[in-house]
Amino acid sequence: MGGSGSRLSKELLAEYQVRGTPGPRELACGPLLGSRVRELAAGRPRPPQRSANPRSGFAFQDLTFLTKQEILLAHRRFCELLPQEQRSVESSLRAQVPFEQILSLPELKANPFKERICRVFSTSPAKDSLSFEDFLDLLSVFSDTATPDIKSHYAFRIFDFDDDGTLNREDLSRLVNCLTGEGEDTRLSASEMKQLIDNILEESDIDRDGTINLSEFQHVISRSPDFASSFKIVL
Amino acid sequence: MLLPRSVSSERAPGVPEPEELWEAEMERLRGSGTPVRGLPYAMMDKRLIWQLREPAGVQTLRWQRWQRRRQTVERRLREAAQRLARGLGLWEGALYEIGGLFGTGIRSYFTFLRFLLLLNLLSLLLTASFVLLPLVWLRPPDPGPTLNLTLQCPGSRQSQPGVLRFHNQLWHVLTGRAFTNTYLFYGAYRVGPESSSVYSIRLAYLLSPLACLLLCFCGTLRRMVKGLPQKTLLGQGYQAPLSAKVFSSWDFCIRVQEAATIKKHEISNEFKVELEEGRRFQLMQQQTRAQTACHLLSYLRVNILIGLLVVGAISAIFWATKYSQDNKEESLFLLLQYLPPGVIALVNFLGPLLFTFLVQLENYPPNTEVNLTLIWCVVLKLASLGMFSVSLGQTILCIGRDKSSCESYGYNVCDYQCWENSVGEELYKLSIFNFLLTVAFAFLVTLPRRLLVDRFSGRFWAWLEREEFLVPKNVLDIVAGQTVTWMGLFYCPLLPLLNSVFLFLTFYIKKYTLLKNSRASSRPFRASSSTFFFQLVLLLGLLLAAVPLGYVVSSIHSSWNCGLFTNYSAPWQVVPELVALGLPPIGQRALHYLGSHAFSFPLLILLSLVLTVCISQTQANARAIHRLRKQLVWQVQEKWHLVEDLSRLLPEPGPSDSPGPKYPASQASRPQSFCPGFPCPGSPGPQAPRPGPFVVDAAGLRSPCPGQHGAPASARRFRFPSGAEL
Repeated sequence: MGGSGSRLSKELLAEYQVRGTPGPRELACGPLLGSRVRELAAGRPRPPQRSANPRSGFAFQDLTFLTKQEILLAHRRFCELLPQEQRSVESSLRAQVPFEQILSLPELKANPFKERICRVFSTSPAKDSLSFEDFLDLLSVFSDTATPDIKSHYAFRIFDFDDDGTLNREDLSRLVNCLTGEGEDTRLSASEMKQLIDNILEESDIDRDGTINLSEFQHVISRSPDFASSFKIVL
Repeated sequence: MLLPRSVSSERAPGVPEPEELWEAEMERLRGSGTPVRGLPYAMMDKRLIWQLREPAGVQTLRWQRWQRRRQTVERRLREAAQRLARGLGLWEGALYEIGGLFGTGIRSYFTFLRFLLLLNLLSLLLTASFVLLPLVWLRPPDPGPTLNLTLQCPGSRQSQPGVLRFHNQLWHVLTGRAFTNTYLFYGAYRVGPESSSVYSIRLAYLLSPLACLLLCFCGTLRRMVKGLPQKTLLGQGYQAPLSAKVFSSWDFCIRVQEAATIKKHEISNEFKVELEEGRRFQLMQQQTRAQTACHLLSYLRVNILIGLLVVGAISAIFWATKYSQDNKEESLFLLLQYLPPGVIALVNFLGPLLFTFLVQLENYPPNTEVNLTLIWCVVLKLASLGMFSVSLGQTILCIGRDKSSCESYGYNVCDYQCWENSVGEELYKLSIFNFLLTVAFAFLVTLPRRLLVDRFSGRFWAWLEREEFLVPKNVLDIVAGQTVTWMGLFYCPLLPLLNSVFLFLTFYIKKYTLLKNSRASSRPFRASSSTFFFQLVLLLGLLLAAVPLGYVVSSIHSSWNCGLFTNYSAPWQVVPELVALGLPPIGQRALHYLGSHAFSFPLLILLSLVLTVCISQTQANARAIHRLRKQLVWQVQEKWHLVEDLSRLLPEPGPSDSPGPKYPASQASRPQSFCPGFPCPGSPGPQAPRPGPFVVDAAGLRSPCPGQHGAPASARRFRFPSGAEL
C-alpha cells in the first residue's frame, strides 16, 4: 500500500499500537470514563513495562471489521471533509468534524436515520461532531463483515430516539414515521399507527412492560434473515 | 460506551458502587471470548479493553487475517453473482420502480406482461427453427400450378354489396392483404409431396402450433402452481412477523433521494396492506355465524347477478350475429354487417365497468375484488371471442348452416379461395385492432383527461380525477390479445412475432400511463393471489384457442389451391401417411398401439394411482404440520413453567419502591448494569449480585436496566400461547 492517495501508511497505522503502557494521564480512556474511574485505573497495578515494538500490539484492523484498504479509503474520505489546514495525518486523527459535514456524505444523505447515526457514534461531550475513530467505528459496524450481534445492538441504539435504553411507543412511532416518510399519501393515519405499534409490541414485548429492550429487540431481529444485508453502508 | 453516571455519596444500601461495577464489567470483558472488534464500545474503550486483555501485545496471526479476507471476498463474489442473475431479467429497474411507487399488485400486471412476452418469443423460436429455417434452407420445389377447379357458384362473383375497398397501401398493411403471399400467412407455404428421407415441413408445420400450445400450457401451469395461495395451508401466524419487518425494512445502502422516496412508498404500502389484512382478519374472526352466512349469501348473490349479465350479453351477441346473417338481402345490409362487431364492442366496453361497479358495492377485500372482476371480465371477453370464431366458422365452413355451398369441397369455395388466409387475415386484423385500441385509449382518453384535470379546477374536474389504473381491465386486454394469437397459430404462424412487438410497446405505453397519467389506487392489493388468477384466466384463453384448432386440424378439409395440405382430407392425415412411409413396421405397430384404447385405459388408471398417492401425501403433510404446531405450543409452555419454577426458587425481594414495572425473575440474575440504559452485551456475569431496590437518583442513574427483580406473581402475566391460536 502507501500509494499516493493514502497517507495512513503502514508505519502510521502501526503508530496506533501500544508504545509501552501509558501513564495515568495518557491512559486511553479518553473523556468517557469519569475522573473517579480514571483514578481507579491509575491506582491499579500496572502491567509490566514492555519495550515499544512496532510489530506488536494492534492496529485499526484488529479493532474494527474493516480491511486495510477500507480504513485507508475511510481516512481519505474523512480528510476531504476537513478544512485544508487540518488535513495532515496527526491533526486529522484528532480533528472533530461537525455533523453538517458528515451528513453531506452521499452515503448518508438520503438516510432518514442520519442524525441518529451521528449522535450514536459521536464520543464528543456535546455530541455534535465525529472524530476519525468514531467514523471508523461507524463504518465498522455498518460493514458487511460485522456480526449480526453488534449490528442489532447499534440498530437498537439508533432507533432509540430518546436514548433511554428502551423502545417505547414514542420511539416506535417516530421510527415508523421515518420509514414511511412525511408525504401525505405515505403517512400512516393515527389509527393505523396505533394498530401497527400494538402489533409490534404484541409480537416483540415478551415481558409485557410496554417497551422493547435490547434482548427482545435482538430476538425479533434474529427472525428476519435480511437484516444484516440491509444494515450496511459501504463507502 | 462505558458511562458511569453519578458518583453520589449517599447511595442506598445494596446498590453496587460504580467501581465495583467497573471491576465486574472489566473482568467480564477480559474473560469473554468475543473478539474486541465485536464489542459495542467506542474505539478508545476497545483499545483499553484490548490492553487489559493482551498486555503482552500478541500479534494477530497473519493467517487469521488472511482467512477473514478470503471469507469476505467469497461472500462479496456470491452477492455480486446474485445481483447479476437478478439484473439480467428484462426491465428489472422499471419493475422495481413501479413496485415501489404503486405496490406489488400493480407490479404483478407488468410481470405478467413480461411473462407473456417470453412465451411469445419462445413460440416464435419454435416455429422459426422447425418450420421457417428448414423451409429456407432446403428450398423445396414448388409443386407446380394449382388445379383448375370448376366452380359452380351461385351468381357471379361480384363484390359484396356495401363492403368498402380502399386501395391504400396503409389499409392493405392494416388488413393483411399486403402480406398475403409472404410467410406470414398459411397460403405461402408450399412443398412437394411427402417422402420419407426428406425433413417433412408439413409435419413440422402441423405440430408446431400444437407444441407451442403445449409449451405455453406447461409454463402457465408451473407459474400458477407457484402462485397458489399458501395462506390457507399454513395459517395466519406463520408469516414474517410485522415487527421484524418494521425493524429491518430500511435499506441503508440507498444513496439517491429518488430511490429513498420509492423505498418509503414501498414500505408505506406494505404496512398499509398488512394492517388492512389484519383488520379484516379480526373482523372475520369476530363475526357471528349469522353474519358469516349473510356474507356468503351476498357473495353468491353478486356472482349470480354478474353471471346473469354475462349470459344476457352472450345471447345479445348471438342474436345480433344471427339477425345480421339472416337478413343479408336487406337494403340496410351495410349497417347490419357491422351489428355483430358493434354489439361485441359495446358489451366489452360496458361489461367491465358494470362488473367493477357491482363488485365494489360489496366492500370485499381488495384481492377478492380484483380477482372476481377479472374472472367475469375474462369470461365475457372469451365468450365474445368464441362467438366470433363460431361466426367465422359459419361463413367459411358452413357450420350450422345450410351446406349447399360447402358440399363439394368441404368449405365455402365460392367466396374464399384460400380460406385459411382469410381466417388468418381476420385474426391479424383483430390483433392489430386491439393494439391500436390500447394506444388510442392511452393517448386519446387518459392523457387528455390528465391534462384537463390538472389544468382546470372546477368541481367537475375535481370529481373526475385522473384515471385509476385498473388492473383487471388491463390484464383482460393482454389475455384477449394472447388468445387471439394462439387461435391464429395455424393460419398465421408469425403472429407471435407481431404479438411480441405489441407486448413490448404495450409495456412502455402502460408504464408511461401509470407513472404520468394515473393515480394510485386507494386500496392496494397484494400480488400473491393475483399471480394465480392471472395464470388461470390465461389457461382459459388457451383452452378456448385449442378447441377450434383441434377441430380444424382433425376434421376440416384444407384449401385445394393454397398451402401445405392441399391433397389431404384433413391436415392431421399427414401423420398416418408419414408413419406409414417413414417408420419401420414395428414402429408403426407401436404407434398404433399407443393411439388405441388398449393403451389409454391403463394409462388413465396409472395416472389415477399417482394422483391418489399425491393426495394422500398432502394429507399426511398437513397432519404433520398440525402435530408440529402442537409441539411448539407445548415447548413454549414448558419454558414458562421453568420460568415460574425459577422465580419461586429465587429469594423474594424486599419492599420495593422501584417505579419500574415488574420483570420476570429469570432476568434477575443479570447484574445491575455498569452501562445503564444499554444492557451490556454478553451473558450475565458469574456472580449474580443480590437484586436490590432501585433508586432513581436526582443526578441520574436513569431508568432501571431491565432485568431487575420480579415477583413470581409477575410470571402469571405472561400469556401462554394457546393451541387455538396456532
